[in-house]
Amino acid sequence: MDLSEEQILTLAPDESSKKAGKDLANPTKWVTKGAGPRALWGECQGSGSKPYQTQVDTNNLAFKCSCPSRKFPCKHGLGLLLLSARQPALFQQTDEPSWVSDWLNRRTEKEEKKAEKKETAAPVDEAAQAKRQQARLQKVGDGIAELALWIKDQVRAGIHTAPAKTPAWWENIAKRMVDAQAPGLAAMVRTLGNTNFFREGWQSDYIDQLLRIYLVIEGYQHLQQLNPSLRDDIQTQIGFTVSQEELKERAGTLDTWLVLGKQTSEDQGITVERYWLFGTTTRQYALILQFLVRGQGAQLSLTPGLLIRAELVFFPSAAPLRALIKRQVQADATGKGEGFANWEELTSATAATAGLVPFTGERPCIVQHLTPIRLGQQWWLKDDKQTIMPVKENFRNIWKVLALSGGHPLNMALLGKERAFEPIGIWHDNQYKII
Amino acid sequence: MTFWNNILHTALLGTDKATLTPGELGQDLAPLAGQITVLTQDKEERFLQIAALAFNYRQAGAMALHKADAQLSPAPQEESAFCSPEAMLALNDILQDESIPLLAHWLELCRTHYLLVSPDVLHLLLQTGLAHKHLREDILACGGQRARWLAGLNPDWASYTATADSDEQLWQTGTPEQRRHILLQLRKSEPDKAREWLQSSWSQEDANTKADLLQTLYSNTSAADAPFLESLAAEKSKKVKAEALALLKKIPSSQLVRHYTEALRTRLILKKEKSLLGMLSKSTLEIRPGDELPAILTHAGIEKLSNKKEMTDEEFICYQLMSFVPFEFFTSSWQKSPEEVIRFFYDNPQGKKLIPALVLSVVNFSDTAHALQLMQHASVFYLDLLPLLPIQQQEHYSNKFFQSSPASVIQYATQREKEWGLELTGAILRQAAKEPWTYNRAFFNKHIHLIPIAAAGLLDNIKQEDIPPGTAGAWAPLSEAIRKLIHLKTQTIKAFIK
Repeated sequence: MDLSEEQILTLAPDESSKKAGKDLANPTKWVTKGAGPRALWGECQGSGSKPYQTQVDTNNLAFKCSCPSRKFPCKHGLGLLLLSARQPALFQQTDEPSWVSDWLNRRTEKEEKKAEKKETAAPVDEAAQAKRQQARLQKVGDGIAELALWIKDQVRAGIHTAPAKTPAWWENIAKRMVDAQAPGLAAMVRTLGNTNFFREGWQSDYIDQLLRIYLVIEGYQHLQQLNPSLRDDIQTQIGFTVSQEELKERAGTLDTWLVLGKQTSEDQGITVERYWLFGTTTRQYALILQFLVRGQGAQLSLTPGLLIRAELVFFPSAAPLRALIKRQVQADATGKGEGFANWEELTSATAATAGLVPFTGERPCIVQHLTPIRLGQQWWLKDDKQTIMPVKENFRNIWKVLALSGGHPLNMALLGKERAFEPIGIWHDNQYKII
Repeated sequence: MTFWNNILHTALLGTDKATLTPGELGQDLAPLAGQITVLTQDKEERFLQIAALAFNYRQAGAMALHKADAQLSPAPQEESAFCSPEAMLALNDILQDESIPLLAHWLELCRTHYLLVSPDVLHLLLQTGLAHKHLREDILACGGQRARWLAGLNPDWASYTATADSDEQLWQTGTPEQRRHILLQLRKSEPDKAREWLQSSWSQEDANTKADLLQTLYSNTSAADAPFLESLAAEKSKKVKAEALALLKKIPSSQLVRHYTEALRTRLILKKEKSLLGMLSKSTLEIRPGDELPAILTHAGIEKLSNKKEMTDEEFICYQLMSFVPFEFFTSSWQKSPEEVIRFFYDNPQGKKLIPALVLSVVNFSDTAHALQLMQHASVFYLDLLPLLPIQQQEHYSNKFFQSSPASVIQYATQREKEWGLELTGAILRQAAKEPWTYNRAFFNKHIHLIPIAAAGLLDNIKQEDIPPGTAGAWAPLSEAIRKLIHLKTQTIKAFIK
């Protein structure tokens, strides 16, 4: 595994862990350290009488430490990984100590048991399941009717009053959607309520989101007339979940995936990690979501710039994006991030996606040879065909993009839609730099 | 996108007050909107369907603009090499820790090795330089062409690229702060020219500016300044006159200092006494009442009545006069060596009282030649003499007097430009272990450039018994923070000096 310091630090759960991890990237802190083909390990002298045993599964990036920290990965895991990145010569290739091999074996066994459990799972009571499903559909239908009425009321009275309303106005209807077992719609309504009413042009943002909700509920009311893929999209938007275990049974897409970026947000005590991936052979983009409740260990640790050889299964959709990792073959992999040659290629692809799923959100993309330029009061990205697209308003890392570019074209990984994009990574001197 | 604006207009007002007609949607959408209008009676539903159609039309049809003429001139090619990944690693850690002294040290090393910073962090450096002006020059030097180019794109960083006016232009048209800075810089390199600049604009300056600018003459003050400063006696402003007098007191050849010297000559006498039936002669100090003090001296601040209870009025006058009389006066007029002069003062009860005035005189005239001799004979610690000593001697006396005056020694040590010696560093660290709230993390962060990298070992030497009860809890994290700072400094030095 060849991770840069920047990449390792993106694994940290917070700023203090980054700092503490850096402090521990010091050979004097480690009583023992070693490396093998499967893992990296070390014993760190902490405040306890016994040193903490820290181990990192380098094939399927995972951490384990005997320290009492509830953060994941803990500062010892980060420190060990940082030390190996800074001074790889310190880690001699030796046999795994028993505490490392035990952990790695247990991980393998756990996977096997999981598979076994699936095979021996109790048969499903299909009649009861159908009954539950029917009851839910009824609830969702009622909720959607209420939401449709709420939307129409706004349209009739005009949205000019929206900025004066209190957040409770949106929250009430969002809660009604939760009661109606349509959590997806509840989230969409909350997004609507979170519109920045102080921003010039809020009206367009507000109407866009209102229309997305409208399209979803209209689609749901005409579900049988739609093609099955779009049906899946609408059900996902409403909040019908797909069993991840069932999904993993399906055939996946094996590729070398480049992790383009990671976004972390927190909502109601749940940390949501979004990993944006790009298949270097299939040229497919993917979004892996990880939800973490405070104190819960993350199952997935990916860092931007990392290439992983893995099989991904996409959630059913007319324009698949969200996926889960069915299996990771190995951590070391090679591949190139060659995306769209210019904006025209990207906009054609975007038009096709919008045709399939009209309420789609932001998507990642790689566009080659982009140069930042200034036009009017805005920054734009110019391609080889001399066409330009605006950078998102108030994009605060524009100066890093400019510093790396120096006015020369660079391949960029972007996140955005329609006519607003923000770079999330840049290839500079053949290295992927996180923005 | 007129069609979209029309939709927004209707949405804002509401379908109760406004109606969206297919004609407002342009020729592509109008036929479909017409169909919707026919098929849907409910006006809200009609609006939502048309708006949803337009929304999809808009997002599917987003195109990039063709702008062949929109250009950004690229940054010029760099001529120097970039620094090593190890150096960048150290820089990233320093930026993360926000340690400005270490950043200054890093930039200095980078600059002296003619290396460039990797572009990744240029924006961070330029931003840091906004709050820390003294770093700007080094940031531009280490940032190379790319940093200048980048600074030119951001109006917030305009101060980096402000067209460098000539110093003379800036002196004539700059802000008071810029003018003061320019004059001070010039004074350091060409003291006479700086004075001439000041003289040439003197009549146009107001009193406060005059007083402010006069302060720049404390640097490299010389006999050549005396005529100008003496001419300021006619100034109206008391503030300006006071500044001029203070400066004249530092020039041994000035009229003022001559007055001090003459007044002292008649009051402080080296008297020869005969002993052993006139076979041996011995010199001793004697203070005699002198003539009335000239007005110039009383105006310059000499008090006739003692405000020190251990001194008589005459002794007190001598004390004040001596503070502004150069040491050479004693050696030349008494025809004695400096050691003998100092001994006369130490051997005489009245002379002993005047030793602090001797120290003040040496400090006033920055008399490095006699500072060491005075320090060698001193039984008490004269902090003000330290800067006048050679660096080894500064270290020696700092160590010697550390136990008796730790706070003063540390205070002076922080003003030094060169790194502390290991012994002094050890003493300061032990003091910090005793007073971790006074010599805290911010203190060491600010003065890390003075701490030698070998000091990491000294932290291990601080034993539990050196730490007073109650401070152990504060010392443990502080020592860790110091260790980290030293580690960063070591990392920086190793990255550049291999």
